[in-house]
Amino acid sequence: MTSEPLFLCRVDDIGEGGSIGVAPDHRGRDRVLLVRQGQAIYGYINNCPHYDRAPLGWKKDAFLSGDQTRIMCAAHGALFTITDGLCELGPCLGQRLTPVALVITECEVFGLDIPEFAYGRSTQQSSGAAA
Amino acid sequence: MRIIGPDELVFGVDNVGACGSFLADYGLIGDGNGRFAALDNTAITVRDKQEPSLPAPMKTASMLRQTIWGVEDQATLDQIEAELSRDRPVAKSADGTLACRDDSGFEIAFRVTRRTKLDLPAELINSPGAKPGRGTNVVGANEDAEARPRSLSHIVYFVPDMDKMANFYIERLGFVITDKFTNTGPFLRPQANDDHHVLFMIQTPEYMQGIEHLAFHMQGPTELMLAGSRMVKKGYESFWGPGRHKFGSNWFWYFNSPLGTHVEYDADMDKHDGDWVERETPMTKDAAQMFLFENVEKWAPGGGPPPAQK
Ligand code: FES
Repeated sequence: MTSEPLFLCRVDDIGEGGSIGVAPDHRGRDRVLLVRQGQAIYGYINNCPHYDRAPLGWKKDAFLSGDQTRIMCAAHGALFTITDGLCELGPCLGQRLTPVALVITECEVFGLDIPEFAYGRSTQQSSGAAA
Repeated sequence: MRIIGPDELVFGVDNVGACGSFLADYGLIGDGNGRFAALDNTAITVRDKQEPSLPAPMKTASMLRQTIWGVEDQATLDQIEAELSRDRPVAKSADGTLACRDDSGFEIAFRVTRRTKLDLPAELINSPGAKPGRGTNVVGANEDAEARPRSLSHIVYFVPDMDKMANFYIERLGFVITDKFTNTGPFLRPQANDDHHVLFMIQTPEYMQGIEHLAFHMQGPTELMLAGSRMVKKGYESFWGPGRHKFGSNWFWYFNSPLGTHVEYDADMDKHDGDWVERETPMTKDAAQMFLFENVEKWAPGGGPPPAQK
């Protein structure tokens, strides 16, 4: 089932080699993160596979490691490949970010089937956090 | 053993600039050389991960390189050196700091604390039936309050073997269990500190080993809310909170950080002594917090729309 494509941003809104958070939910939390490398744009749901309610960034639009070669979860430092969202190092080793199907026109980016909430509704087991 | 608590945490990061602005916005005071201190001079130090002076990195994603514990005096340092030298190399630097690894492989160090004694007011509140906390005409809601972290409160680790980890701190360094989440780990405090916990651990697979979060004490719940709201306003990612924990009773607000760990504000933690009997409960969402809020956009009550014209 495919919903109407949702406008996410303009291609130019994402700096070359950079990232952006888009598609805020009703609370203003970005549901999707986009990373741009040259002409290619990659989109993932903004929810780390490690915890069941985990936004990845540490600041608005900041989703990458310092050298911009990986997506980083700023909760416990998990590093994911940009091209396929695979966790190569960190607490969710071997797991993947959920990709978002994108439709990219000449200058605009649209997403398909974006859930109402990026996180907070998943049934994944949490590894616990406390204190 | 008269260990007080964490004095300083050292990180090897891939983005020193981002970490510096985060820690400064969080409220710590930078010395221009990568050290960011709370009011009592406990601190976080961030260095480039390539810097050779840093202790070896872990094989996991964790960027924490060393936990430096502050102790009361030289006699305590000597005790620690004698105790730990029995089964591991303990390096001693020119300034007397001891460095080694704990039984889980974390790099740890000990030194006579660099904490300064604080003499600051607590949050002052008014409550019917009690003597007023604030003087007459003293306003409680001060948006311009400085809201700086006062002291490095606690550190939480992911560890592959919580019993081995806890036993090292209990049997070798004299830490005491205050409370325990079954199958997760104990809350520990050292002998020269009456805070509910300065150390907590969560059992995880080996590939997760590292720091789960660190926290600084704020003046009180109001200052915690003020500092956290400022972080949100600056665009930082709130992870969990504000709320109030059950074990420890501390108010909490956790943020994601470029240091690859949660950085927490806490306030109003319980204090304990040897008379306290530890509690134990399974870790659940109900056990983790008494209540939990979420920061939302500001709102004000109004009179509603004017009555429809007839
Ligand atoms: S929540 Fe992402 S690494 Fe832990």
